[in-house]
Amino acid sequence: MTETVIHRSNPGIDPHFHVWGWEVPIYLFLGGLVAGLMVIAGARLLLMRPNQRQAMVCCTIGPLAGLALLSLGMLALFLDLEHKLYVWRLYLTFEITSPMSWGSWILLAVYPALLANALVHLPETLPSVARRIPILTTISDFMLARPRIIILTGLANVLLGIGLGIYTGILLGALGARPLWNSAVLGPLFLFSGLSSAAAFLHGILVVSMPDDERPAFADFLISTVTGWTKARPLDTRLAPALAQADNSFLTIEFALIGLFFIGHLTSTAVHQQAIGLLLNGPYAAVFWVFVVGLGILLPLILQHFELLHRIRHTLAPALLVLGGGLALRFIIVAAGQASHWSSLASH
Amino acid sequence: MPAPFYKFGLFGEEMSLIVAFLIGIAFGFILERAGFGNARVLAAQFYFKELRVLKVMFTAIITAMVGLTLLSAAGFVDLSLVYLTSTYIWPQIIGGILLGIGFVIGGYCPGTSCVSAATGRIDGIVYLGGIIVGLFAYGEIYPSIADFAHSTPLGKLTLPELLHIPYGFLVLAVVVMAIIAFVAAEWAEGRFGGRRPDLDSLLAPARRFAPSRKLAGALLGLGVIAALAGNPYRGVEGRIDTRTLALEAANPADQLAVRDLADRLVQGRNDLLIVDVRDADAYATYRIPGAINVPLASLTADFVPRNERILFYSDSELQAAQAWLLMRSLGYDHSYLLRGGLDAWKQEVLFPAPASENPTPEQTADFAARAAVAKFFGGTPRADAASGGDGMPQLLAPPPPTEVPVLATRKKKKKEGC
Repeated sequence: MTETVIHRSNPGIDPHFHVWGWEVPIYLFLGGLVAGLMVIAGARLLLMRPNQRQAMVCCTIGPLAGLALLSLGMLALFLDLEHKLYVWRLYLTFEITSPMSWGSWILLAVYPALLANALVHLPETLPSVARRIPILTTISDFMLARPRIIILTGLANVLLGIGLGIYTGILLGALGARPLWNSAVLGPLFLFSGLSSAAAFLHGILVVSMPDDERPAFADFLISTVTGWTKARPLDTRLAPALAQADNSFLTIEFALIGLFFIGHLTSTAVHQQAIGLLLNGPYAAVFWVFVVGLGILLPLILQHFELLHRIRHTLAPALLVLGGGLALRFIIVAAGQASHWSSLASH
Repeated sequence: MPAPFYKFGLFGEEMSLIVAFLIGIAFGFILERAGFGNARVLAAQFYFKELRVLKVMFTAIITAMVGLTLLSAAGFVDLSLVYLTSTYIWPQIIGGILLGIGFVIGGYCPGTSCVSAATGRIDGIVYLGGIIVGLFAYGEIYPSIADFAHSTPLGKLTLPELLHIPYGFLVLAVVVMAIIAFVAAEWAEGRFGGRRPDLDSLLAPARRFAPSRKLAGALLGLGVIAALAGNPYRGVEGRIDTRTLALEAANPADQLAVRDLADRLVQGRNDLLIVDVRDADAYATYRIPGAINVPLASLTADFVPRNERILFYSDSELQAAQAWLLMRSLGYDHSYLLRGGLDAWKQEVLFPAPASENPTPEQTADFAARAAVAKFFGGTPRADAASGGDGMPQLLAPPPPTEVPVLATRKKKKKEGC
């Protein structure tokens, strides 16, 4: 039996408080990534003209990957719960003032929306799967014949994606007891970080499926195995520049939002200034500026800028850097937030 | 501002890591421009077909070596503050062989694999993933191979010390060796790689005074100056400038408050070498966790490298201040003093007392935090301010450190070379 002191005077809480491990940042990252995939998939579905058939990577592969990733994220969240058997109680009520309640209901609606988006173009992307399960073709034909359903699916994905992305940030921002998190900027910051991660993710998938002379034989082997198994049509790589361009916009906005996050804290109370000091010159400064800003935003911005100028080839590197940066952002904000506190005297 | 900047306090620990990142990016960019992101260029070294890597790396080595020697001779750099890795001959031979096998199989060394991954080469990304997995694996198995990893220690060795030759002479010898290597490399590239020499190569330049020849001549000249400049290392003989020392002694920046030390220890930071200057009996009864014992009477200059940060403490401040002054006068610029000594440590950290009878909410929160810290160090908070002094309970001594912390705390593996 392990005995612990559960009131405040506990070495686990003072001078630092750390009860959230890897599960929460992993969930926040995957939640943000799925939110980004939803927004991109919904927007692509709404904006695509019927004669265009470039829907595969954004509208089918993205939502399908989103379903898997969200399930992984939910698993991480579930592992973090103290009373796992009471999870159903979240769905007995809706509290309009509780971000937790908003989040649990949004998560419930995200699954059917993602699934609907994936089904619209699934038969043309994965013909062998559709041939084995004929109902998929039936559903797809039914939806494609009714533009209103397509518009509804697209809108639902965009709106729920924005809701999910903002909620992952507001979840932290609503907790006033941790001054570093206590900023409404976290909502849009996590949304745009999720959008950039999603664009990078899709860009990475396109890059890997590009024909490439310098690619080692084993990578070709892996790709041909997967494509042979699913009998997928080759993805349209003409979309890669558009995705890189979108990613650069998202990264730029994310960078600006980080600036706003800093300004908001620095012009607030002494407690908030001390909290942001953790990222500015405190123990989290090096990891934040190196992994989030340097490797996660600025370096991929430069690399993708040169890709768009046709100075270098499209590679997997920016995608991995952006995804790593998004993950690092969640881990650092969650860890540094738990180290920030109102009893500023504890550190003197 | 003399260098190394970090050791002279131009920026702190966090900023030094950000500076390292910027230098790393610049280094990677230059390696990429030199073509080191391509495994074929690296592998070509082993076939003597194209020796670009040898030439670039040797250029980097002699540039840094001549530059450091001359800057040090001119007084801009204190080389004795630059960290040197200790030599453990057998572990390093085994590690070197493993690294070499990885180099030949993967076609990259650690640095160039980062460059290759950043340019998007999939083999480079896989190689980098392998390095990360290897680092984790090494961390996991480290406890079982720690004895071997610290076996056959030879201390901090430099070639001049080993060969008993003057530093400057070695610098000149390496410059000559590099120029011979460049000429040999160009010959080999023609012989094995079938490459025609460049227009301005060292071997057969089109002009008598080609830039490469001018550079080689300039390097030789700098090498000769370095050979005459003497030993770049400053000794540990006392250089007592009374006025400077008095100013430093009056400056409270060299003192550390006990509560700051407690916070550092709670956070698990190990960047301070804590030295207990009391006698061995007092040390055995109680010590601050992690402290080593160097009684004042047996304090000599060489118990620790000059670039360590040392914190002295004794019961009150007296003995520790004497040790601090001694080490400062010997040029150990990173010596600190625990303000109030062990007495203050007991009063404020181990047995903190509430501030007053009627505390404000801030004082209550502060006391709760201090009580938690006290429990962390095995102490107990007092009920009120008056009950201090004679009511000190007997302290349990923490177990003595098993190894000399100077070496034990540095578990990180340093990557050197390319």
